[in-house]
Amino acid sequence: MRKPLVGLQFLIVVFSFIYAPQVCGGTPLEAVRTKVDGVLNVLRDPSLKNETAEEIKKKRLWSIIDELFDYSELSKRTLGKNWAQLNLEQQKEFSDLFSTHLGNVYIDRILAYSDEKVVFDKERRKKKRALVYSRVVMRSKEIPIDYRMIQKNGQWKVYDVVIEGVSLVKNYRSQFREMLKKKNPEYLLETLRKKVGDKV
Amino acid sequence: MKALLLIVAVLSVFFVGCAHKGASSSIQGSMDVSHSQDQKAQPPASDQTIQQQDEEHEFWADDFENLDEEDSEEAIEIADPFLYWNKAMYHFNDKLYFWLLKPVARGYRWVTPEFVRTGVKNFFHNITFPVRFVSCILQAKGRAAQAEFAKFFFNTTFGVLGFGNPARNYPHLDVSEEDLGQAFGKWGIGEGFYIIWPILGPSTLRDSVGLAGEFFLDPISYVDPSEASLGLTAYDSVNATSFRIGDYEALKKAAFDPYVSLRNAYVQDRKNKVRE
Repeated sequence: MRKPLVGLQFLIVVFSFIYAPQVCGGTPLEAVRTKVDGVLNVLRDPSLKNETAEEIKKKRLWSIIDELFDYSELSKRTLGKNWAQLNLEQQKEFSDLFSTHLGNVYIDRILAYSDEKVVFDKERRKKKRALVYSRVVMRSKEIPIDYRMIQKNGQWKVYDVVIEGVSLVKNYRSQFREMLKKKNPEYLLETLRKKVGDKV
Repeated sequence: MKALLLIVAVLSVFFVGCAHKGASSSIQGSMDVSHSQDQKAQPPASDQTIQQQDEEHEFWADDFENLDEEDSEEAIEIADPFLYWNKAMYHFNDKLYFWLLKPVARGYRWVTPEFVRTGVKNFFHNITFPVRFVSCILQAKGRAAQAEFAKFFFNTTFGVLGFGNPARNYPHLDVSEEDLGQAFGKWGIGEGFYIIWPILGPSTLRDSVGLAGEFFLDPISYVDPSEASLGLTAYDSVNATSFRIGDYEALKKAAFDPYVSLRNAYVQDRKNKVRE
């Protein structure tokens, strides 16, 4: 009676090692799909539809989005070369403000599509990077939204969202670079503070 | 119109032949492309297989490998020598949109049922078939040209002059829309500089030349009194805008510098379309 059980335990241990990476991290596509479905569920939740629930709704959305995005990665990529121009404190503030802004933009966009069907097509993977293709299917058109992802500590996180072929990170990078050509980092942060402040 | 159809029919037969030849030889080619299975359905052409491999590599390079390097950063920029003209035109078009186009399109959307607007959209899309067809041919995209032709034929006949879109039920006919600017890009012609035209909006030197060519390929341009032709074009853009209200506003709202954001979005979009 003992022996087969030991064998079973052994098998379980072996299989859990084999499948552990898939189960913990999941595929990049699954990682985005669960999060985006989560966001859509919050947006569609009838109990959160009225104005009084606005705060709870925001909180839930942000808790999902915080898990989906790799803020430090996307902030660094957005500033590119100019990242080094900021001191540590400024980098931290930039990262916070910019991710808040990007989250707002993302919620805005996904909010507009909340009644539509979101389809996840496929993923392409190369080592620790991945590209997940999705589409928002509407009656009259389809909008492709691609997620660029990176794997850190076994978790797949998004560092860029490409809407209709336009990468948000690249788009913001061009804006910030233009700004930093003439102005100092403090001006950039002030602009960010204003923009984020207006939203809330 | 009859003569045009005849030419088109002859050409399409020619391209059917081409595409078949291409398909057989591309099997060989695909064996040494490691990630060819998730390649988008690109029309294979016999002497283009090697070029396609290169493009595939470029795609990956752009998406993954160069991400840490700063050189990919510069690639997306474009010369803007007419900054002052462009900024003026940006503001002109911005006002044109908010003060004229948007309210008109909104009113139009309010009074016009969606199926009518969709029909009108389909009609204008169908009638600009020569632009897409010629652009496919110029890029030797045989299969895409075939698909465009089949769609045009279907939608013009069964779709009643293109107001209906029965071809949409056939996914293999769903090819990305080509235009002359993309064809020139495929030939290796660079964008040149950025230019914003009044009413027409953002463009580049290359795409402006393309636009000029497209004018001659667009049947609407040949409508007799030029006022009627202009009227149709205006109606087309009001109808098209009625589907897109909010997009430009979203871009502006998300941007820190809307002018730069729009410029970058335009260039990114065009680069993408050329690569497709």
